[in-house]
Amino acid sequence: MPNLELQPVLPALVVALTGLVVLLATAFTPKGRRAPALELAALGLVGALAVTFRVAAHARGSSTGGAVVADDFALFFHFLILAVGLLAVLLSPAYLRATGAERGEYYTLMLWSVVGMLGLVSARELIALFVALEIMSVSAYALAGLQRDRVESQESAIKYFITGAFSSAFFLYGVALLYGVSGSTRLSVIARAVADPPAGSATLALLGTGLLLVGFGFKVASVPFHAWAPDVYEGAPTSVTAFMAAGVKAAAFGAFLRVFLEALQPLRQDWQPAVAILAVVSMVLGNLGALAQSNLKRMLAYSSIGHAGYLLVGMVARGPVAAEAVMFYLVGYAAVSLGAFGVLAAIARDGREPLSLDDVAGLGERRPVLAAALTVFLISLTGVPVSAGFVGKFQLFTAAVGAGYTSLAIVGVLMSVVSAYYYLRVVVAMYMREPVEGVEWAPTGLPARLALLVSVVVVLGLGVYPGPALAAARQAASVLAGAL
Amino acid sequence: MSFLDQHLLSSLILLPLLAAVVVALLPRESVGLQKLVALVSSAAVFLVSLKLLGGFQATAAMQFKETLPWLPEYGIAYRLGIDGISLWLVLLTTFLTPLCLLGSWQGIEHRQKEFGVFMLLLEAGMIGVFCALDLFLFYIFWEAMLIPMYFLIGIWGHERRIYAAVKFFLYTMAGSVLMLVAFLVLYRESGLRTFELAVLAQSPVPPALQAWLFAAFALAFAIKVPMFPFHTWLPDAHVEAPTAGSVILAGVLLKMGGYGFLRLAIPLFPQAALDFGPWIGLLAVIGVVYGALVSLVQPDLKKLVAYSSVSHLGFVMLGVAAFSTVSVTGAVYQMLNHGISTGALFFMVGMLYERRHTRLIGEFGGLKNVIPWYAAIFLMVCLSSIAVPGFNGFVGEFLILLGSWSYDWRLVAAASLGVILAAAYVLWMVKRVLYGEVTNPKNEGLRDLSARELCVLVPLVALALFMGVASPLFTRTIEPAVAGLVEQVRAQQQGAPSAAQAPVTAPAPGAVAEGH
Repeated sequence: MPNLELQPVLPALVVALTGLVVLLATAFTPKGRRAPALELAALGLVGALAVTFRVAAHARGSSTGGAVVADDFALFFHFLILAVGLLAVLLSPAYLRATGAERGEYYTLMLWSVVGMLGLVSARELIALFVALEIMSVSAYALAGLQRDRVESQESAIKYFITGAFSSAFFLYGVALLYGVSGSTRLSVIARAVADPPAGSATLALLGTGLLLVGFGFKVASVPFHAWAPDVYEGAPTSVTAFMAAGVKAAAFGAFLRVFLEALQPLRQDWQPAVAILAVVSMVLGNLGALAQSNLKRMLAYSSIGHAGYLLVGMVARGPVAAEAVMFYLVGYAAVSLGAFGVLAAIARDGREPLSLDDVAGLGERRPVLAAALTVFLISLTGVPVSAGFVGKFQLFTAAVGAGYTSLAIVGVLMSVVSAYYYLRVVVAMYMREPVEGVEWAPTGLPARLALLVSVVVVLGLGVYPGPALAAARQAASVLAGAL
Repeated sequence: MSFLDQHLLSSLILLPLLAAVVVALLPRESVGLQKLVALVSSAAVFLVSLKLLGGFQATAAMQFKETLPWLPEYGIAYRLGIDGISLWLVLLTTFLTPLCLLGSWQGIEHRQKEFGVFMLLLEAGMIGVFCALDLFLFYIFWEAMLIPMYFLIGIWGHERRIYAAVKFFLYTMAGSVLMLVAFLVLYRESGLRTFELAVLAQSPVPPALQAWLFAAFALAFAIKVPMFPFHTWLPDAHVEAPTAGSVILAGVLLKMGGYGFLRLAIPLFPQAALDFGPWIGLLAVIGVVYGALVSLVQPDLKKLVAYSSVSHLGFVMLGVAAFSTVSVTGAVYQMLNHGISTGALFFMVGMLYERRHTRLIGEFGGLKNVIPWYAAIFLMVCLSSIAVPGFNGFVGEFLILLGSWSYDWRLVAAASLGVILAAAYVLWMVKRVLYGEVTNPKNEGLRDLSARELCVLVPLVALALFMGVASPLFTRTIEPAVAGLVEQVRAQQQGAPSAAQAPVTAPAPGAVAEGH
């Protein structure tokens, strides 16, 4: 057994233990008093961020038995995921109070889901990766169904669970087939094996790749594996939706990148056209689907399918620019989806939250700062400068055009125009329509304000000065063999 | 030297941004203060921009250049600079913005704070477009500018404002996203790993590819100009926008189409520009005549002015398509003229609307008897708009027609028809609005121009006259830049093997001086 180095899993350990502490603290808090769950969870995540900094400084590149590594790629995503977790936690308390879903296990589940995400992006071995995937997903299923008195929430959890279980099965079968080809679940060994498959196993390698593609396709919600997303995003508590849209997507894409650019890079010729098709149908159907939605959460869910399509464009394009573009885009998209769903969650009141255009009508006049923040997020989602969304799309499409996929870029920009229409509808309602009488939203609490402020700063900051984030993404991407 | 002197162009972009932040942070109740800060800061920006005139050399070179690395891996930098073409467009922008804020002092009745903020953001964006020498930077300003304009139309516009705002946004965005893809293809094909305009223009891509890329650029700019048949967003946006929005739209935003052709599309794709030139010229002339004919039958004053813009901008595009030193100088001059006279027209229609809450020509008549000052200035503005000698419009149109003659005399002949039609629709409108008896009792008690309104209009009219008689002061700086551009593009067109047609020889620079 190789020497067991714990550094790479330290951040995850901190988060996991915090989850336990939160659970115990909730259990032992006397009835009628509020457990300090939020504070503990936030503290744990900040601690995990600090630990990650330490790992980045002192134990970069270390690995736990070769299965879990702390390379630049993993560290990049660790920072992202922990930040997403922290912001999601900050967005939660007001929303949970307003919808009566305040429970200690909420934060525990969220923290454990973060543990899964952290593992997902640092696994270099498919069994570890699968376990992490399940930790992340199972926690997320439970989170989605946490509002037990809302039938949509239950529906969301069941739907998420069943489709998620299906996709896990696909994934696992893919792992098994690749094991059959290579005799190992390690990415590096698989890469060698599929580059020069033993006689008769070339088809097996392709089948395994296809099954993994299906599994990841589910997790990142790309068409045609997207059907669960609108219902789940709509039914889940909004703070959870924000967490899923930002965190699950980022972590799933992280694993997707690592597996496909590291282990399956030799088969690029074969999977690249398939991913290109997924990208196009996701961009087109996601955006057209969003066009038809009147519920804001559903609209954002469809838009997230479209954004999965943009990200897949980056997977198709070859070269280091592509992987770094995907990673940069994920950072911007995480901030934007936390922000957009976060605004909806932040002003929920008496079990109601703004879900229709009527609900946000006149918000620009009544809540100018909040409306301005949501406008920034919507502009970034559209991909109009000056925003992270624009720089991200610019890089994705630069990579695509550079790799000769000009048609993908054309589809992408045209779908951005389509998306402008439905995002603008929200802006129109907020600024150009009179408020509907009788709709009064809650004031924004301090934690939520903080989270939204951070999101706005990130979105605008990456739009104006993307250099440092890009450099970090580039360094992280350079770890992937196939990115070169 | 102070920061201001060394970073004059950056200051012109940053000052309005800073002012926008200040206005946004002012307390909501102090409306007067918000308006004052916005107005004073935009006036200060104008004064600062006048410093450009002091240091500007009448050569073809880019001046006041600034470069800051931004995304070096992509060859993207913050590159600014102006030549004789952009100099005047920047000044036009800084000149019109304070007038717009002053002109909207009373017309904007709610959310004055946001209005000031969006006007200042818009100003920063517009100046940025005219100063950017990097494709990426250009695109950022180009697109970012849409947002404040969208809000200006959508919040403070008239009845169908939301429809107009969304249409404006989608049309313009649809045009520009394909240009973005063209940027990226150019980036790849050039192999230079830079978005610097001057470098890319030095080594054009193969002609076959140029055609595609030029088409993508041309679509974006043709929508902005707007050229027939991409003009359908314009009447909606112009008519529904508040007065200040219409003035900025007509005065500055439309100029960006022509400017984009001159600064980007033609220098980057000289061969394609040569091949597509006749088609652009044809569409331009169709626009001239079509815009004029539609104006002729408009019952609505604002629509009439809006369609007259289609016609005027057709002239500009004819000058651009002909691409001789004289015609392009005329086109640039005409862009400035149009900004001033159409800007003034929109102001005056807006003032009438504030008094009567209607824009229908049929509602008026005999205004000369009631509001003589208004009538006098309105008449002068109209004369400027129809290019009567002595006013600015004459110089511009004359240079365009003169410079385009050797390119294709048939186009010039057809465009001249537009000159006559312009006189017809404007003078007929003037007759119906100003002259005759006061037939509508509602018009009897109208008050004449206030001191504030005179402050808005007098500079515009004075400038229209000044540019009519002292045009060499302006062409002196425009012409070298244009001559340099024409020379550069012609050289590349001759260098490349092409079939289309023999290039038109550029007339001697002295030809411009004879133009008036």
